[in-house]
Amino acid sequence: MASTADPTAQLYSLPNVLHNQCLTSVKFISACFSGAVAGILGLQNWRGFALFAISVLSTSFMMYAVNCKGKPSRYLPGGVGELINPGQDNIFTFILVWTLFYGIVHGMPSLFAVVDLGR
Amino acid sequence: MSVDAPASLYLDPQIRDWVLFPITLVMILVGVLRHYIVVLLQSPPKKLSRAGVREQRALLRSQILRATSSKSPIPPAHYKALSRHLSDAFKLGAYLKDGPPNGDAVSSATNALTDPATMDGMMAGMKTQLVMMVPQMIIMGWINFFFQGFVLIKLPFPLTFGFKSMLQRSIDAPDMDVRWVSSLSWYFLNLFGLNGLYRLFLGGDNSADSSRDMTMSPFASAGAAQLGQPQDFTKLFKAERDNLELSEGQYAWAGEELDVKVLRKYGKLLPRLD
Repeated sequence: MASTADPTAQLYSLPNVLHNQCLTSVKFISACFSGAVAGILGLQNWRGFALFAISVLSTSFMMYAVNCKGKPSRYLPGGVGELINPGQDNIFTFILVWTLFYGIVHGMPSLFAVVDLGR
Repeated sequence: MSVDAPASLYLDPQIRDWVLFPITLVMILVGVLRHYIVVLLQSPPKKLSRAGVREQRALLRSQILRATSSKSPIPPAHYKALSRHLSDAFKLGAYLKDGPPNGDAVSSATNALTDPATMDGMMAGMKTQLVMMVPQMIIMGWINFFFQGFVLIKLPFPLTFGFKSMLQRSIDAPDMDVRWVSSLSWYFLNLFGLNGLYRLFLGGDNSADSSRDMTMSPFASAGAAQLGQPQDFTKLFKAERDNLELSEGQYAWAGEELDVKVLRKYGKLLPRLD
């Protein structure tokens, strides 16, 4: 079991690395909101996924600019790749919320029907 | 964009109120319940005697020493002293739980099924697996029983024809678009989609995560528990001695020639030519 560990990995402070995982909750919330937006707007097929891609890019840009102050490799071990990657959980979350809101808003015509005032 | 031209089904909104939200709510609650049950069911770890702990810690010490050997923070004298001391101790068996080995050298690795310690470990693993599986079965049965035979929702994205049999299980309309799905597919969507929610509320290491159920199996946990207990530390120590030797060969102090490096960095000395 001769482990050849990455010599720079020993220099990372482990509690800090674990703390920076809090960015995943930002990604989760943004996936929820973008799913809701896609559903409410009634986007279908590739347009919904395009919205997801745009939201992932803009969220990671926000995190890049505000949290990482332009240097993601100082805050995340994976660098820019880890910053942008939404993770498998969040993709499914997006699809779930998108389907939910799409079904509610566009599948139930009578729920949001407004009645003519009859003037 | 929101009105689809071909075959738009008009569905009763009450279906949605009484099916969509209840299924999601139930799944969230069952997931949280599952997590807390697993937490409560976990028995406290077995306490080892002082000698047993010392045995494990000795192994850990040598592993820590080896992990950073190629760019080590400790100077050569200390590193070599530590390494040699540990190596000799392993050879003599000074850290072994039952004392240094005597002439007959009976292996202490008892059969996994009879050793009570491993039994506890395996039972704990299998108990958690059972707790994870049972709610899934129950919910699937509940959904199949109550929410069967009608179209629930339209998926906003297309799927291949092969999914039709899975997602429209109880509906006998062969021409219907795959995007109109039954409640079981809503169950699957929730199964995958709620993992992120659990991670937010229950923390990263939660037991409600269904993605872990797919990858693990009951045998994996039993196998891991089996490796845990009947470890022959004599053999481990011997292997560790070889590793220590290897690492000693790779050893390099991080602070070697530090004065020269600093001078070069600030330009007071000419850089290396290689």
